[in-house]
Amino acid sequence: MNEKLYNLDHLNMSEEELFSPADRDSMESERITAPRYSYWRSVFRVFFKKKINIVILSLLIFVIAFAYIYPALVPYDPFANLLDPNSKHLSPAKAMDYFGNSIHWILGAGASGEPTFDAIWNGSRISISLAFLCAGINMTIGVVLGAIWGFSKKVDMIMMEVYNIVGNVPSILLISVLAMLFSPTFWTMVFAMTIVGWIGIAYFIRTQVIIIRDREYNLASKCLGTSTFKIAMKNILPFMTSIIVTLLASELPSYISYEVFLAYIGMGMTDMSLGRLIYAAEGAMVTPGWQFEFWSPVAISSIITVVLYVVGQNLGDASDPRTHM
Amino acid sequence: MGKYILKRLLRGAFSAICVVLIVMILVYSLLDRTVILAADPNYSKMQSNARISYEQSRYEAFGYLDYVPYADYVTELVKSGEITEEERSKVALIGRTVEKDSEEASEYIQKFTEKYRSEGYEVVRLDADARKNGQVKDGGQAALYAVKDVPLLKRALTYFTGMLFVDNIHYVPEETDIGERGLTFTLYDPVYNPTGTEKKFSPAIIGNGTKHKYLLYFDNQFPFIHQNFITLNLGESYTVNRGIDVFTTMNASQGSYVLKEMIYPDTGFVEESADDLHTATYAAGSREVNAVYAERFNDDYTNVITHKTGLSKLGFSFVIGIIEVIIAYILGLSIGLTMAQFKDSWFDKICTVYIMFIIAVPSLAYIFLFKAVGGAVFKLPTLFEVDSKDWKMYILPIISLALPQIANLMKWMRRYMIDQQNSDYVKFARSGGLSEHEIFTKHIWKNAVIPITHGIPGSIIFAMTGAIITERVYSVPGAGNLLTQAINKYDNGVIVGVTLFYATLSVVAIVLGDVLMATVDPRISFTSKAR
Repeated sequence: MNEKLYNLDHLNMSEEELFSPADRDSMESERITAPRYSYWRSVFRVFFKKKINIVILSLLIFVIAFAYIYPALVPYDPFANLLDPNSKHLSPAKAMDYFGNSIHWILGAGASGEPTFDAIWNGSRISISLAFLCAGINMTIGVVLGAIWGFSKKVDMIMMEVYNIVGNVPSILLISVLAMLFSPTFWTMVFAMTIVGWIGIAYFIRTQVIIIRDREYNLASKCLGTSTFKIAMKNILPFMTSIIVTLLASELPSYISYEVFLAYIGMGMTDMSLGRLIYAAEGAMVTPGWQFEFWSPVAISSIITVVLYVVGQNLGDASDPRTHM
Repeated sequence: MGKYILKRLLRGAFSAICVVLIVMILVYSLLDRTVILAADPNYSKMQSNARISYEQSRYEAFGYLDYVPYADYVTELVKSGEITEEERSKVALIGRTVEKDSEEASEYIQKFTEKYRSEGYEVVRLDADARKNGQVKDGGQAALYAVKDVPLLKRALTYFTGMLFVDNIHYVPEETDIGERGLTFTLYDPVYNPTGTEKKFSPAIIGNGTKHKYLLYFDNQFPFIHQNFITLNLGESYTVNRGIDVFTTMNASQGSYVLKEMIYPDTGFVEESADDLHTATYAAGSREVNAVYAERFNDDYTNVITHKTGLSKLGFSFVIGIIEVIIAYILGLSIGLTMAQFKDSWFDKICTVYIMFIIAVPSLAYIFLFKAVGGAVFKLPTLFEVDSKDWKMYILPIISLALPQIANLMKWMRRYMIDQQNSDYVKFARSGGLSEHEIFTKHIWKNAVIPITHGIPGSIIFAMTGAIITERVYSVPGAGNLLTQAINKYDNGVIVGVTLFYATLSVVAIVLGDVLMATVDPRISFTSKAR
């Protein structure tokens, strides 16, 4: 056995000083030495761990930024070339020949000689704004009312009947009635889509709340005297975050799709949104040489919705705490 | 269970009634009624007082209000015998202004005004619209009428009480002489025995004085035995299919006539015709007005539906929808199962991309995509023809409808399967030595499919209401477009009727879904209160 001895003489300390018991900090011993956990930081850590998410998120930011910045910087007049008969329904190659090489004409020209590219980005701005506004309003009302609906049994009884009734009123009818009452503008559309749109979300949230409301840990929390508000905020809301984000991911693109659908059946708004562009160019789809007018807005709206959906789904996955390990 | 279902159906009926009330408020009270006149070519041609009267009569035709012109009141008086036919012209003549009314007219105008004011009508008198030289302008004749908006509750009440029409021998007005009223039972249906010499056995009940002539009969169309004692009356169409009941609009065959040599049993008249004599209903005085009817019939049951080659609106939608539902369930469930079994394999990943594509991309975009691909690459017909017997024209609409449903079923089937895979009973089964295959087919699959069964009745029932975009893109003459068409044409009757029809279907679909789920899974019980 090899014993190693240390010489502590150079410290110049007395024996008491060297060997007295250290002070025990009672507060310090309470602290958990695990690394600090921040929920949102973990969400983004998990989200950015996948390289594909970075690519798609940058694509999303690019598309949205482009849809807002491009129309703001470049003046767009759909009827500038109205009187020029040669400027209508041009394929990209012909449009470039006719107007010269510029970014405006890379998707050809439309029915009144307008650059399809500019028309699409103006339309995208309107459609994206509509989607974000409607989703924002519907999600806020839906989540708050859905939570109350799930918590209270009395509210549940009344709301179920309301849901059965409102759910059966055809939404197309409601939208067309509102459009006729207030003229089909952007804000009418927002109103029409939000006046009953929240009830589906509220119903979904209600079901989720009922599932976790009666779990044992909530029961225990209740027995310990936690207020219902605190249970809702501290016990249930964290559990719901990933569900809400996932729901938002499918809601956002659905408004763009719905707007396209409404415009296609002739009940859309008067602003030239993506849906209106597709509706206006429907005839061009079957005309040889004009197809670009129809497929370009369809393609752009598909890209926007797909990107929104993928980012939202992956963010929803990342916001589930079980993936944070 | 039975009691529970009954309760659910009653609550469903209550919500369907509320839906109809809301829709009635929407279309009759909130919508601007002048839009119906904007689309009316006759209206712009009219002038002055005639235009105002016409406006009111159109509003009445669209069901907005009760409109009683003075002339109708006078006709009533003649009918009731209060004034004679000779006095009529004097009484009915309205003076240019109130002062110029004749004595007789003035008396009855006074009565008319009092009668309708007391009933809550607004009585409007329009003085003659004359030029400076005293000549009355075109359509400027003096007019007198009473109008009243139909109140919501009364409208709803008449709608619901009139919904089930029970045919009776007093349907034809009592003063009309139509011979002896009553029902006759015959073993030899005259439609099949027109000359009376052949004896083709086919029982039928024929009515006289009823609305329908044939109250019970057999024919070669599903369901082979038909009755007209109780008929469903969902409301009358104003513009989409003028004067025809909404349900008939959805249910009547379309396309070109099926002509065949036939003998009219009443008169023995022989003709190539498509008339379906079994559908004859009473049309008062039709033979007097139209010689064509007089030649063929010897009673006023002349209003017949014709045989046509194509299916009905509901029929086309249902044929396409039901094939789509079967394909979607077979493919969607089996692909979803495979995805769950080979989780995280390349197959699972490709299918996930497909699901994402269908959910995210606007449905319009992929329907057009499949139309373009199907038409150009596979040379499939992209437009539907009612008369064509070509089965290929069904392919693209069915595919377009099936794709989103397959994606949806795949998504949920995979989700439920994976949820089940992680549960304790599966771990127990595995530790007990069951093979993965056995666990999969005997345990997981049976549990995972339970929530799926809830949607099956709904899918089947809603197959017949059709799909808006698909039917529009492929020009399918189905029921999907009926509601949008009605909204565009301001056809209030059809809007209300179709909404009620859809609301009823959805109530029934949900209850049936619950029943099916409880049948498949014996653990689910609706009767116990433990929860």
